[in-house]
Amino acid sequence: MKQILSLYILLLLVCGCTTETVSDAKQEKALPRIYPDYLGVTIPVNVAPLNFNMADEQASLIDAVITDSHGNSLHSQGEESVDFDIDDWHALLGQNKGDSLSVTVSAKYEDGWHTYQPFSIYVSPDSIDYGLCYRLIAPGYEVWSKMGIYERDLSSFEERALIENTQFEGCVNCHSFNRGNPADMSLHIRGPHGATLLRHGDSPLTAYNTKTDQTLGFCVYPYWHPSGRYIAYSTNATSQLFHSAHQNRIEVFDTASDLQVYDVEKNELLLTPLLKQDSLYETYPVFSADGRSLYFCAARALPEGNHQLDSIRYNLCRIDFDPATGTFGNQIETIIDAVAQQKSVSFPRPSYDGRYLCYTLSDYGQFSIWHHEADLYLLDLSTGESRVMTGANSEDTESFHNWSTNSRWLVVSSRRDDGLFTRPYFCHVDAKGVVSKAFMLPQRNPRRFYRERFLSFNVPDFIIAPTRFDGHKASRLINDDYRKNFDLHN
Amino acid sequence: MEMKKIQYIYTILFGVAVVLFFGLAYPHHLHYQEQFQLFLFDSNYVWDVVKQPGGIADLLGRFCTQFFLFAWVGAFIIALLLSAIQLLTARLVNGGWFFVLSFVPSFLLWFFLLDENALLGGVWAVLLTLLAVWLFVKLPKGWLSYSVMVVVIPILYWMVGPAWTGTHYHRYPTVVPTLLYAAWLLALVLPLLANVFKKWNSAHQPSAIICHLATIVVLVVMGTLIWKNSNFKAEKVMQYDFMACHQQWNRIIETINTEKPNNQIGVTVQNLALAMHGQLTAQLFEYHQNGIHGLLPDVQTDATTPLPTAEAFYQLGMVSVAQRTVFEAQEAIMDFQKSGRCYKRLAQTNLILGSYEVARKYLMALQKTLFYRDWANETLPLLGDEEAIAKHPEYGRLRRSAYKNNFFFSDHVTPEMLEDLYFSYTDNYLALEYLKAYCMLTGDRDRYNNLLRRTSVKQ
Repeated sequence: MKQILSLYILLLLVCGCTTETVSDAKQEKALPRIYPDYLGVTIPVNVAPLNFNMADEQASLIDAVITDSHGNSLHSQGEESVDFDIDDWHALLGQNKGDSLSVTVSAKYEDGWHTYQPFSIYVSPDSIDYGLCYRLIAPGYEVWSKMGIYERDLSSFEERALIENTQFEGCVNCHSFNRGNPADMSLHIRGPHGATLLRHGDSPLTAYNTKTDQTLGFCVYPYWHPSGRYIAYSTNATSQLFHSAHQNRIEVFDTASDLQVYDVEKNELLLTPLLKQDSLYETYPVFSADGRSLYFCAARALPEGNHQLDSIRYNLCRIDFDPATGTFGNQIETIIDAVAQQKSVSFPRPSYDGRYLCYTLSDYGQFSIWHHEADLYLLDLSTGESRVMTGANSEDTESFHNWSTNSRWLVVSSRRDDGLFTRPYFCHVDAKGVVSKAFMLPQRNPRRFYRERFLSFNVPDFIIAPTRFDGHKASRLINDDYRKNFDLHN
Repeated sequence: MEMKKIQYIYTILFGVAVVLFFGLAYPHHLHYQEQFQLFLFDSNYVWDVVKQPGGIADLLGRFCTQFFLFAWVGAFIIALLLSAIQLLTARLVNGGWFFVLSFVPSFLLWFFLLDENALLGGVWAVLLTLLAVWLFVKLPKGWLSYSVMVVVIPILYWMVGPAWTGTHYHRYPTVVPTLLYAAWLLALVLPLLANVFKKWNSAHQPSAIICHLATIVVLVVMGTLIWKNSNFKAEKVMQYDFMACHQQWNRIIETINTEKPNNQIGVTVQNLALAMHGQLTAQLFEYHQNGIHGLLPDVQTDATTPLPTAEAFYQLGMVSVAQRTVFEAQEAIMDFQKSGRCYKRLAQTNLILGSYEVARKYLMALQKTLFYRDWANETLPLLGDEEAIAKHPEYGRLRRSAYKNNFFFSDHVTPEMLEDLYFSYTDNYLALEYLKAYCMLTGDRDRYNNLLRRTSVKQ
């Protein structure tokens, strides 16, 4: 009896592990249609396996063989998706830095196997940072359900919650790190326990009240100064209206907004009249790579009673900033005159090497997340020329983005998958500014994963190491009444 | 008749009372429960639930709640659970005077379930705990029973959760489900007391007649308490919501003619049904009105009140407004669950608006449910099929009724919005009904006369 049982278990194990040989396959002249579209992409050497599914969902089996020029190969077969062994994948990528891999896909349909033309994947020697941090939230309007901030190891499929709103009443947003270093971190909490959580270097996490009597309200969009001493914030009076018949559902807009810089060491807000003009909406402040400029978006404010939201357009502007004294320059320079093109700039992000600045261009407004026409552009800071990032863009929304710390990878928020749920994509930007085709954040079974996740990946940012963020401690701070006030510089 | 058999009859009577109560007097509380969850036959969903302490009880509760779509089935399930708890308690107390008290935990749980936000997972937690205790009692005393206890306690913790904190027994995380805890505690304390007073209980066995009388007194007193504390006003409101959700326009008219509603949801649904029958303006003032708030109330940030309004938006052809309203209502569900009703409507609105991939996402989730699967299977082939959508009696009509001009609007519906809706498609008689009613309720004679002029010119 025991022997029969053992044999049965062995048989089960063998059956479970066997793969079907691709035989008598019809040789297709076309490339395979796979999900996500990984055809011809450039990937970092340390990224997680690019598992994929057949796009048409009719195949009963999918088979992929990856080969390199050294004779190595990696094989995977599955019913829904291919799922490459993670160690073998990393070994193969490590052996092919700066080289291409060839992927041959076969799929089994009712009439048998079909083998498609192989496609290539280029393995860039430029590595990508340890991970990605993002907020997961349903793409809604005013009310939120379960949401939180999460980190994902980019070399595997591991995702971990930093903090979720099950731990307190409210919502959490605008996480920000200093060049991917989680030791310097800013995080906003909204709702009855509103606060900004800050940690800087070795100092403990502290809950702040960022509202002062000389600013518009709570600090909003943060950006760290490269020194770690300052954080630029905007303050925004934000509203939303809805479209009656338009491909864009919603328009989120500011009725007032200003900028300020927070001195972390002195606990002081640094203000300048130039960045809190009533006639201008200033938002999305970011420091240049050398920390001596503050870029931001600025639009002429609508006259009171005017609701022509589609006439609000933002230019990309710049003001000098002296990190030694914490003082601003005395004039604002327009870097990109988008208004002249009847367009609007949002989400400026300078590369950390100082070469480029990536921004979003849409028809109007500043909340391009809800604009299907929004695309990414790359400004060459040495020549002042801008060009569309064709490889990164799609027919649908491209909005928020961030640079990896080596300034070679860009994470892009895109709604190309279904027009609503934002997914992170990555593209390579080489030293000459050539932008590769963007690829979707890998998952073990991408279609199942993205189909079942009814949440958008919001504000993706690179991290160079695990954040080691103590969510329980943070929730204790949030639920406690104590808040340290931001002081004003006199 | 043997006393034990009579005791079973009492249990059956109790169960029948529960079935009749929830089936006849409280059916819409069950429908309400069902619409604020989405049970998926999906391994990821199951794992997400069971990995939490108390996950098994929660999962069993959610599984049973999906049947609440059919109130009588739901009533039967509740009756089974409460009867099982009473029977187990009776077994553990071992008869005598304590048999009478064995009904009390089940009555307390019935009391608990009068609250539409009380979750069935709590009832399962009590039942699973009693099962574990019963198992322990049945085992022969000695090292085996203690070993089993050591193993069972952590498993029980995983199955039913920490008794006093943070488990999914109530939709509002901050609400302490006192009645549930009282029932739980009593179900455990009664057997202990029965054990302590074992000798006394055996020596003072009540006579059959005393036993019957005491049982009847407990059943009547507890039953009266249940009846007195039932929220039949809420039941009526839920009935209106249910009828609107299922587009039972004739039944709504019959109901409002029996008893005119005077709550916001009732009035909103009443006006929608009247408008669907083309009788809104003709009969507007024959019923209670709540000003313009009874037509299209401003949407609140809760999960309940926006849904009937969303139905009105949807039927009017304000599909994107309906979509937003339903989306926000679902987001407002306090325990972060999703809703079959909302998923269905979000699939429909995305289909009508041409967002086929988003519609597909909702439909494919609904394919993993028991009771929305067939509908999802029927709807999926419509995606991208413009001709079929145009011919569809509901989706085709709503597509034709949709706004043609783009403008911005806020949370508040204005008469201009209704005007634009009607004049961009003058077959939309519902929009005209609402617009006229709006003028009548606000006393805007100029707009009304102007509307009459414009509609006569059109005709």
